Amino acid sequence: MEVLLKTENLETFIGQYHILQGVTFEAIRGEVTVLLGRNGAGKTTTLRTILGLSPPSRGKVFFKQKEIQELPTYKTANLGIGYVPEDQGIFPYLTVEEHFKIATKGKGDKVNERIETTLALFPDLKQFWRKQAGVLSGGQKQMLAIARAYINYNELLMIDEPSKGLAPIVVEKVMETLERMKGETTIILVEQNYLMAEYLGDRFYIIDDGKTVLSGEMKELKEHEEWRKKYLGIS
Amino acid sequence: MEQIVNLLINGLATGMLIFLLAAGLTLIFGLMDVLNFAHGGFFAWGAYSGIWFYGVTGQYVLAILFAMFVGLVLGALTEKLIIKPVYGNHIQQILITLGFMLVLSELLKVIWGPNQLPAHAPEWLSGSWLIGDIIIIKYRVFIIVVGLIAFFTIHFILKKTRIGLIVRAGVMNKEMVEAMGIHIQKIFMLVFMVGASLAALSGLLLAPYSGVIYAEMGMDFAILAFIVVVIGGMGSFTGSLLAAILVGLSGSFMAYYVSELSIAVNMLLMILVLIFRPQGLFYGKG
Amino acid sequence: MGMLNNRMNLFVIIVGLLLFLLPFIYESRTLLILLTQIFIFAIFAMSYDLLLGYTGIVSFGHAMFFGIGAYSTGIILHRMESTIFTVLLSLLVGILLSLVISILVGFLTLRLKSHFFAMLTLAFASLFLVVAEKWRTLTYGNDGFTFPLPEFLRDRTYFYLVSLTFMIAIYFLLKRFTESPFGKVLVAIRENERRVESLGFHPLYYKVIASVVAGTTASISGSLYVLSLRFVNTSVFTMEMTLDALLMTIIGGVGTLIGPIIGSGLIEFAHHLLTDLASISPIFERWIIFFGILYILTVIFFPLGIVGTIRNRISGKGKKEKYAKKTVAG
Ligand SMILES: Nc1ncnc2c1ncn2[C@@H]1O[C@H](COP(=O)(O)OP(=O)(O)OP(=O)(O)O)[C@@H](O)[C@H]1O
Ligand SMILES: [Mg+2]
Repeated sequence: MEVLLKTENLETFIGQYHILQGVTFEAIRGEVTVLLGRNGAGKTTTLRTILGLSPPSRGKVFFKQKEIQELPTYKTANLGIGYVPEDQGIFPYLTVEEHFKIATKGKGDKVNERIETTLALFPDLKQFWRKQAGVLSGGQKQMLAIARAYINYNELLMIDEPSKGLAPIVVEKVMETLERMKGETTIILVEQNYLMAEYLGDRFYIIDDGKTVLSGEMKELKEHEEWRKKYLGIS
Repeated sequence: MEQIVNLLINGLATGMLIFLLAAGLTLIFGLMDVLNFAHGGFFAWGAYSGIWFYGVTGQYVLAILFAMFVGLVLGALTEKLIIKPVYGNHIQQILITLGFMLVLSELLKVIWGPNQLPAHAPEWLSGSWLIGDIIIIKYRVFIIVVGLIAFFTIHFILKKTRIGLIVRAGVMNKEMVEAMGIHIQKIFMLVFMVGASLAALSGLLLAPYSGVIYAEMGMDFAILAFIVVVIGGMGSFTGSLLAAILVGLSGSFMAYYVSELSIAVNMLLMILVLIFRPQGLFYGKG
Repeated sequence: MGMLNNRMNLFVIIVGLLLFLLPFIYESRTLLILLTQIFIFAIFAMSYDLLLGYTGIVSFGHAMFFGIGAYSTGIILHRMESTIFTVLLSLLVGILLSLVISILVGFLTLRLKSHFFAMLTLAFASLFLVVAEKWRTLTYGNDGFTFPLPEFLRDRTYFYLVSLTFMIAIYFLLKRFTESPFGKVLVAIRENERRVESLGFHPLYYKVIASVVAGTTASISGSLYVLSLRFVNTSVFTMEMTLDALLMTIIGGVGTLIGPIIGSGLIEFAHHLLTDLASISPIFERWIIFFGILYILTVIFFPLGIVGTIRNRISGKGKKEKYAKKTVAG
């Protein structure tokens, strides 16, 4: 069991607000680590802090044993971390093709090969190849956002609430896709949709009020309804 | 008929000058979220340095290149020394760029004196063509041609190159571009330099058109450019061309028919756009 | 803060008294004129500080209100008989016009984000400049016009005392205003507008009121300014006027009221000195460039200006540090 990414007591301020007050967790290579917690608990901020978009004021982030909390965002990303933000971060006036092009590192044949492999995983995107991403449906945008993070064969993907705002049937499709990616790559998944979290996750951490308060294997959470009630407000 | 053609050409020429100034402003704003109140300073510096160079060498084309070079250098210095220390802080940015504008125009007076200086077009661009019974002034056509060349060059770069792709993506979502591993700060610098260079080009082109240059010319023209940036949509390159032509034409026709109202009408347009369509009339055209 | 505040009031009163006695002790026409100028610009700069320092909004069109006061006074004294009554009337007209225009412009522009607001105010002011240039029957265009003053104001000493009284009165009025609950809300808006909104306040309403107070105060300074010159032209509407207020406020210290007064003294005094030096080297003719550079350095390194930085030193650092960043930082 190799620890791919680890955080230690992350603390982050946004303006004068102390948003993260001690987030500690590990993501193990090849697994899906799920971050759970109520609205406003600090899940998104945790991902942004790892990437350096909201830099921490205290605490550490290790990626493959290397400290990275001081790196600028682009360097962190280039270590092999892909990010799918909560709002998907689609560029509305770029075509699907341009999304693939801008995301792919390297030159020449390699680029085409990666695009091919990625499209095999996201076949629906092919038919919108020349369309502006702004006109895609919510589900298609989400797929595009995931594809864009996946295309560089990043070792770690951080995906923030991929089910947010999608119809149940679309959520299922997203879930299938993520399931196929599982194993190939390590995933940190933020999810409010408990069923999805339970289905995909290997390990969970619960964040409450900016702190990690509980963790374990996913099946433990499945067994402890009282934990879910207490921290997530669900049964 | 003759009158209309002339007003049209006037308007297009003015529009092109405003466009060259607004193009950098809009890209810098879209990409970096910085409204650069010193942009008019680059414009005035382009005019002074270019006219000076033309006076020394007698080479107008070289003078254009020289002015653009001065713009590039000023842009690089400004980005590094003035803008970078206050990234992300709007109020400081506004204050500091305006202060820098002051310094830029005072420096012009230190170097070239406080009085207006004359500026003339070279021989080969002076005079006019007679087509039918319509007189067309060469220099104005020249401005339009240069403006179009600049537009299509940048348009090509934006649409067909990787850097252009990054710039367009950055205008829409800067954080996401960074999160994809792209060092956007480097692109900021580049865009800032190109924007300053275009402003300098615009200033030099204006000089023989208006016949005189003065240190405050930057602020006067920058106000028109601000109006254009708002109407065209902040961050929209094509939008700024369309809006600049609109403002240029309305200015030229209005100045002929009801001169008192011309700036007022443009301002009114800007106020209406800001209130009812703050994303600009042409937003989304890239 | 309370102790500091009392000491500050005492300081202002003592310096004020000394200034009141000055013309009777030391008779120098040049000095009186210079000090009068300083008082007038201090009023203008304080009105600017109300916007920038207390409410956190950057207007590039503040000269608009200065010019409205200036032209109201100029035109009325030019057209009507010059008496104490018409002088007061002209002040009042300037104030009323500024009131109406600041409400209109405020509601149109203050809901915009800082960039757009700065730009739009710049454009509005340039619109007023154009009107002043073009409406020649009223303004005589760029050249402007002179006008007579009533007898008592022609006396430099008397006018000096009047300006000083205005400055001190306005200082204490604005101080009361900024320390009132209303002023506290303004500062809260500067610190975090969204939070103020979520607490159930309506920031737009507060900002409009702040800009009305700032606008009418600026109009008074404009009136006094042309009274001191007995002349008015379009320069009162120019960007340079706004820039002066900006330099004075930033260098003196934003959000302090006393800062703009000191800034005004510093800049007017230096202007005076350096203009004299211009005969030695023409670089001194461009004295404003030094202030431009000083201003830029202040924005980057001492966003609190002279007064704020000193105050910080006195009352220790700690939580003031954050305030320092915030004031100009917004
Ligand atoms: N820019 C900001 N300014 C002030 N507070 C913020 C800002 N961004 C986030 N917050 C606050 O930080 C806290 C954590 O936000 P975060 O987005 O990380 O939560 P989350 O767990 O992702 O919630 P959700 O499930 O709603 O996405 C929330 O209380 C939020 O209000
Ligand atoms: Mg979230």
